[in-house]
Amino acid sequence: MQWLYLAIADIFEITVAIAAGKAEGFKNRPWTVVTLLSGAIGTYFLSKALLTFDVGVGYAIWTSIAGIGITLLGVLLFNQRLDWRKALGILVIIAGVVGLQLSGAA
Amino acid sequence: MPNSGRSSANPWLVLLLAGGFEVGYALSVGGSHGFTRLTWSLVAVVFFLLTLWALSVALRSIEVSIGYAVWAGIGSAGAALLGPVFFDEGLSAFQALWLGVIIVGVVWLKLADRPQQAPSADPQNTPQVAVAPHEPQDARR
Repeated sequence: MQWLYLAIADIFEITVAIAAGKAEGFKNRPWTVVTLLSGAIGTYFLSKALLTFDVGVGYAIWTSIAGIGITLLGVLLFNQRLDWRKALGILVIIAGVVGLQLSGAA
Repeated sequence: MPNSGRSSANPWLVLLLAGGFEVGYALSVGGSHGFTRLTWSLVAVVFFLLTLWALSVALRSIEVSIGYAVWAGIGSAGAALLGPVFFDEGLSAFQALWLGVIIVGVVWLKLADRPQQAPSADPQNTPQVAVAPHEPQDARR
């Protein structure tokens, strides 16, 4: 269940990253509202996940998966290139998450 | 950091502060126990607003990919190191190792996410997935 909570929290965290970018330093009111609302919902589900995960472990997985999602969305929606650097970063994060899980921490 | 005509606050100091707020956010979200504890929950809300605000201020002067990398690195490393201090949690050598791998991956990924590689007809209006969209107008190195 904690992985599901983390996945939901990540969807909202990715939304925060996109919306905050469009909020223009909180001058754009609709996007600012989306930012804060998504942040609140994402935070709630993160807190549910952290009932099971240790804080450091759960937070690291949450923020790194969000980072992967943001990069992939940039490639899919915003015409950015997926070069070897980004691909390597994604692979290193996945290796770390899998390693954490295999070591019994997650 | 040369920064003509802007606020005198050092953006790197603000960025470090944002990282510290993010650590506070992670710890208080964990301490809120699914938002069933009022004090921790309120602290979490305050840290959430502080980290968002400080990061957006810092990213006005610091390049988004670098600023985001530093912020995310401080946040995850701080949460990993301070989690066992504040809560009844352990941090084994293996856990620390894999957490280190993840943190390196996050910082690397953020640094790799440079906007100038994006092909775009109008660079002024390139939509970016980042906390602060606008490139600073003032001259940078």
